[in-house]
Amino acid sequence: MQPDRNAIATIVLNTLHEMGEDLDRPELASADESTRLFGARSPLDSMNLVNFIADVEERLSDDFRIDITLANQSAMSRTHSPFRRASSCIDYIMECITEHKT
Amino acid sequence: MSPVALITGTRKGIGRALAEHLLAQGWQVAGCSRRAADIESENYRHFTLDISDETAVIQMVRQIKRELGPVYALVNNAGTAAMNHLLSTPVETCRSIFETNLTGSFLCLRECAKQMSRQKKGRIINLSSVASPLNLEGEAIYAASKAAIESLTRTAAKELGPHGITVNAIGPTPVDTDLIRTVPKEAITALIERQAIQRLGTTADIINCVDFFLREESSFISGQTLYLGGIA
Repeated sequence: MQPDRNAIATIVLNTLHEMGEDLDRPELASADESTRLFGARSPLDSMNLVNFIADVEERLSDDFRIDITLANQSAMSRTHSPFRRASSCIDYIMECITEHKT
Repeated sequence: MSPVALITGTRKGIGRALAEHLLAQGWQVAGCSRRAADIESENYRHFTLDISDETAVIQMVRQIKRELGPVYALVNNAGTAAMNHLLSTPVETCRSIFETNLTGSFLCLRECAKQMSRQKKGRIINLSSVASPLNLEGEAIYAASKAAIESLTRTAAKELGPHGITVNAIGPTPVDTDLIRTVPKEAITALIERQAIQRLGTTADIINCVDFFLREESSFISGQTLYLGGIA
């Protein structure tokens, strides 16, 4: 079954919430789709972002058997990073899933 | 629950011996090679793939987690070599050796490290070779690919150390496997004469090093390349 956007949003936000609890960062524990994932105003540092991406990949594999890598050439070569906010990350994952299926 | 190891290149030679050794020690072992293997154990799972194929490696590592549990130890053993003078080495040989020896090891390392990172523990062991420190004539591309593996080992040790993962390499001398079967006998003899301990290596020598890096007590050892035969 292919997940819809709500299911992907749940994975992304749950991952951020759990990271917030682990790292004791309230702004992550209450993250929503507007939360920034990198940059000076993000609650994540670069290492946190790497871990976040790996966690989301694993959850996609565990929950939906979707085996994709999100940090790929397509993501890295874009003018606007798909990882700038939670919302853009969710949209990007939906794109990757569609491409993976075709 | 028994720990899970992924060993690449388990169809024959060092990889196969290592898989059989860890199975005898009670590990769950996943192995892979380009062709099917005949290791028989209910704790062994084989994958047939090319380790330089990113999609295949991603699917293998995640399938291992689903079937056996997260990978605790990775042994990047699969490798290929070609003996040739630089001036007569085709570019395809260069690309092929780097694809298997470096890209394949990198992909397995990256995907396994994601699982290890979530577990906050893991061991990665890369197979290098004495061809790198000895700068062996006739093996320029192979030696360069192993030098790259040693560099990858050192940098990965730094990046993955905070996640409880150690990354080390083993640099074996020639071992009597298919890899050196096409190398002229005189070349092997000349190489052995450069070792402090002058004999061919054995799979047991390599297994001993793997056991050492896997030990609980080796958690403070990372970024190292351990050469056999007294090569420094």
